[in-house]
Amino acid sequence: MHPIDLAVVVAYVALITYVGIRFAQRVKTAKDFFLAGRSLTWWVIGLSIIGTNVDTNGYIGASGNAYSIGIAQANFEWIGAIPAMIIAALIFIPLYWRAGVYSIPEYLGLRYNQAVRVVAASIVVTVSVFAMGVAMWALAITLQTFIGWPIWLGILVSGTVVGLYSVAGGLGAVAITDSIQVCIMFLCGLIIVGIGISDAGGSANFVAKLTAENPTHLQAYLPSDHESYPWHAVILGLGLVLSPAYWVGGQAILQRTLGAKTQWDASAGMMFAAVAKTFVPVLIVFPGLLALVMMAQIEYPDMALPWVIKNVLPVGISGLMFVAIIAALQSSIDSSINSTALIITRDIRHVLMKNHNPDSDLKIGRLLTLGLLLSAMCIAPYIGNLGGIFNFLQSLLSLFQGPMLALLLLGAMTKRATGTAGIITLVSGVMLAGILSWGVELNMLFVAFFTFCYAVPALWIISGFTKPHSDEHLRKLTYSPWSSSDPNKQSAA
Amino acid sequence: MDLPVVWANYISIGLFLALGIGVWSIPKSAIVPEEYAGEAWRDLRWWATGLILLQIALYTFFR
Repeated sequence: MHPIDLAVVVAYVALITYVGIRFAQRVKTAKDFFLAGRSLTWWVIGLSIIGTNVDTNGYIGASGNAYSIGIAQANFEWIGAIPAMIIAALIFIPLYWRAGVYSIPEYLGLRYNQAVRVVAASIVVTVSVFAMGVAMWALAITLQTFIGWPIWLGILVSGTVVGLYSVAGGLGAVAITDSIQVCIMFLCGLIIVGIGISDAGGSANFVAKLTAENPTHLQAYLPSDHESYPWHAVILGLGLVLSPAYWVGGQAILQRTLGAKTQWDASAGMMFAAVAKTFVPVLIVFPGLLALVMMAQIEYPDMALPWVIKNVLPVGISGLMFVAIIAALQSSIDSSINSTALIITRDIRHVLMKNHNPDSDLKIGRLLTLGLLLSAMCIAPYIGNLGGIFNFLQSLLSLFQGPMLALLLLGAMTKRATGTAGIITLVSGVMLAGILSWGVELNMLFVAFFTFCYAVPALWIISGFTKPHSDEHLRKLTYSPWSSSDPNKQSAA
Repeated sequence: MDLPVVWANYISIGLFLALGIGVWSIPKSAIVPEEYAGEAWRDLRWWATGLILLQIALYTFFR
């Protein structure tokens, strides 16, 4: 690595650490730690959401996918995100905010029962611990590829940097550092677009060169017989199930909206994130297309982005781009750690330990954050040996996204769904997903879609035979802006 | 599922139009706090409309 690039990386690490530790001085209570004292403004929330969302797969993997399949990769940012983000902003976030909850499992606990809360929390924690290990490993691999650090050193340094501000500053530090990281990511993305199009001789030449040998690379959808991303699976599985489940039920994503200073800031934050999300393909899809246009000699598609950084960007900017990748990974790891610590502290500990002391939440939250970070650092070196674990994680996610979305949708939009029906549907839906995934070996997008199709009528029918909560209890937990006594009416306070 | 691929674009555009109708069916009181009622930019239904139009443009262009 060139000394100027190295200086850029060192300056970045120093800046992030300084900002994070400065923010730590504001943390006095568990609410400060987990919800930033409900002080976040809409633009910080929006940038932080994008920082949390764009991870290893989103950066290096998506560039590689774009190299292979073209602009169709952008569906994960468009049809596979924007509708769900709008629905989350206008319907679900106001609902969670009014319910006064710290987490999505806590909302499910209020809406259904504590069994649903603990099961949902346990699923999220299990997946998160593995996901953090994968992210930490990917970060170490990136450091090894670019600056030749051994894996253990990459894990130690990145874990220490993330730990310094996450353990000390909680959600506030995470959100502020995420915002800085996203600005760096977009700056680098725009520079790549500028240099890439200039090197190709203008945008018309860029398009001509790209489509000359890859005529479908500017088509948003792939044929229905495509092995991985047939268009109907993308619309049904990704657009209608996986994406809404992620954006209306993803704790790491939604936690910063629960830390908003007003309900409007929470919704506007998600809407601002959707605006930014529309342009994320500039960061993660364009480099893959650029590598094609420049006829990069690479062994496999995932090398597209590293090739662009090494061969297209000038000294200093390549260091900044390297920083952007580290930033993407760090912002995902810190968010996962903070949200997982919150879920263990409140949704598992508070429910299972009846004699808990809420005053110790801050101390326990910090200890858990440290413990989760150390767990991820310990798991990370072994992730490479497991092979295909990232795909395994994606499949694991698809197991419960369908039933979880059904619970959230019917729970929020109707008063019919009951607690008993909720736990039966959640458990049976996950079991059905397991059969479809490993027994029938169905595409994970279809697994999500079919389990959602099962869970909605199952929850509806079983609820008819079981006792619902009272109307008064459900008043603030269901969305009904059209009723005469409108509990959804907004207040800025 | 034997429809031409371009139908996926049409379906996406149709879904975004339906979403737009859904967005405008939500009363303003559920979106904008009374304190901000005079500030049009705080009406998130307009933000959503801009986003939806942008998405329709993208799916019209990349087909």
